[in-house]
Amino acid sequence: MSDTDKYMLEVNDLRTYFPVKKGLFRRTIGYVKAVDGVSFKIEKGQTLGLVGESGCGKTTAARSIIRLIQATSGKVIFDGTDVFSADKQSLKQIRKDMSIVFQDPYGSLNPRMTVGDIIADPLKVNKKLSSSQLTEKVIDLLRKVGLSEIYMNRYPHEFSGGQRQRVGLARALALEPKLVICDEPVSALDVSIQSQILNLLKDMQDELGLTYLFIAHDLAVVEFLCDIVAVMYMGQIVEKATSEQLYKKPLHPYTRLLMSAIPKVDTSARYAKKSKIKGELTDRGQLPKGCSFAPRCPLAEGICIQKKPDLEEKQPEHTVACWKCQKMLDLNGEI
Amino acid sequence: MTDIVKDKKIVAVKGTSLWKDGLRRLARRKFAMVCLVIILAYFAVTAFVYVAEFFDWQPGPVMWTEEVGPSYQPPDVKYIFGTDIFGQSVLRKTIYGAKTSVTVALCASLISILIGVPLGAIAGYFRGVVDEIIVWIYSTLSSIPYILLILAFAVVLRDKTLFGLRLTGMTTVYLAIGLTSWVGICRLIRGEIIKHKDREYVLAARSYGSSNARIIFKQLLPNVFHLVIIDFSLRFVSFIHAEVILSFLGLGEADKPSWGAMINDARIELARGVWWQMAAATVAIFFISLALNIFGDALRDSLDPKLRMQ
Repeated sequence: MSDTDKYMLEVNDLRTYFPVKKGLFRRTIGYVKAVDGVSFKIEKGQTLGLVGESGCGKTTAARSIIRLIQATSGKVIFDGTDVFSADKQSLKQIRKDMSIVFQDPYGSLNPRMTVGDIIADPLKVNKKLSSSQLTEKVIDLLRKVGLSEIYMNRYPHEFSGGQRQRVGLARALALEPKLVICDEPVSALDVSIQSQILNLLKDMQDELGLTYLFIAHDLAVVEFLCDIVAVMYMGQIVEKATSEQLYKKPLHPYTRLLMSAIPKVDTSARYAKKSKIKGELTDRGQLPKGCSFAPRCPLAEGICIQKKPDLEEKQPEHTVACWKCQKMLDLNGEI
Repeated sequence: MTDIVKDKKIVAVKGTSLWKDGLRRLARRKFAMVCLVIILAYFAVTAFVYVAEFFDWQPGPVMWTEEVGPSYQPPDVKYIFGTDIFGQSVLRKTIYGAKTSVTVALCASLISILIGVPLGAIAGYFRGVVDEIIVWIYSTLSSIPYILLILAFAVVLRDKTLFGLRLTGMTTVYLAIGLTSWVGICRLIRGEIIKHKDREYVLAARSYGSSNARIIFKQLLPNVFHLVIIDFSLRFVSFIHAEVILSFLGLGEADKPSWGAMINDARIELARGVWWQMAAATVAIFFISLALNIFGDALRDSLDPKLRMQ
């Protein structure tokens, strides 16, 4: 199997900067580096989880990949096609093969359209179907995501959050995509509804052979669904490993912080002790010279502040960008 | 879509759109409904005058030129609003004046909506240079005192021909008002489109390849259109007032009655104690203004999706 056949999505050194403008003439005085050199690959039929706290650039990365936001530089290869240099024709194909599920089930559905019309809209834009074919397809999609077709003439405000997210998923699946980008699809939902939606996503993957790029800020959610997990911090990936490895042995102090945020009932569980890591994201305008996590890291030493660590494979299929990961290994996560 | 559902023997539950829901809540407001009846009465009178003129009927209320009694007859049972200098019925003139006012306000509203909504949508959606040009145009327009601007337009447009049609009194008035007053609705729509265009449902539409035109017409405009309706009802009042002012200043309909012309006539008559012509026109303006204002507020309260569930 050649490389392009194996991977559904290859992201190479993706950068998205937003200019900061100031003054009367709106001069650009600097950039916010929302996504700053992100690379990853997703194999066909697999799920990659992109995790990080709010504002770390996950959503921007996702929207850059699907070209909702213009990326500054980098390369995205989707199923053998370069997304950023695609001409109108191939972009149209890409738009069909790649779809996105949004975070906010209230904002992502047009309040003035019926659910049936919302789901039918991608089909109307991209395919020429008769209205009976269209209805059949909509009914099919509604059933697939576990909604009854009798609701197709209802409006989004007549549904609950979980149901709306199902509608959002049905819309994303309407064009039979190969890749679905899930931008925190469950973070706005109740925990009980979360599991329903996650199960639905998993079922859809098994049934339709989908590839997911799954974005979340909650590691517990990701563990359930993802094959590979990439942890993002301030626009960069700081650790990437298979789900199993990452949960067993996180090598980056930041991953450890995220792990400690998973609520546990059993106090003897893996990382019951509360992490000492405090603080919040530093100002995005001026990134530190060294490791971007250094200001918050309890293990930070001279080198961390001086020099930026590169993403290196420290263990098989486990890459991490940290000078202190050996120490992390020795500590066995107890920081 | 509904009929196909029926063919397949599936009973689809009918949903309640935000429109339907809004109108239902509007219908619950008794006072607003009374105002709506008043507004519709004015429209009905206008329509009646038009129909009568078109078919050349000569029913009483339209025959305002007819001499019905002595000059300056004060109001009594026979002459409800009295008579004017020529012995014409003031009541008939007031009714005929409704036609002028409603026509002007309606046409001016349509013109300003047809200019303001597309410009606002384009400016808000595309931003950049287009936005700056449109904002610059309307800022310039709105920096000129409103009445002066309308006057200037009315004077310029008067007795000109446009597309082979000679612009007579009333046409001049609504063109002048319409061409100068699209700024408000344009600004409103622009702001609202800017608010909506980065919402996730618009991003979703873009992610599956909707064109810009499709996004504007199918996704964005339906979400801001209730504002057009609300703005229309409130602006209608100010257009009626503008028509009155222009007629008062002698720029309106020259040889047919209008409320502004009646007030203008009354200016001299008042000194002689002839108050009824002024009173009739003022009362006519008062009721439609009040009704439109109250109805407009009720529309705003019930059509705004954010105030739903109350």
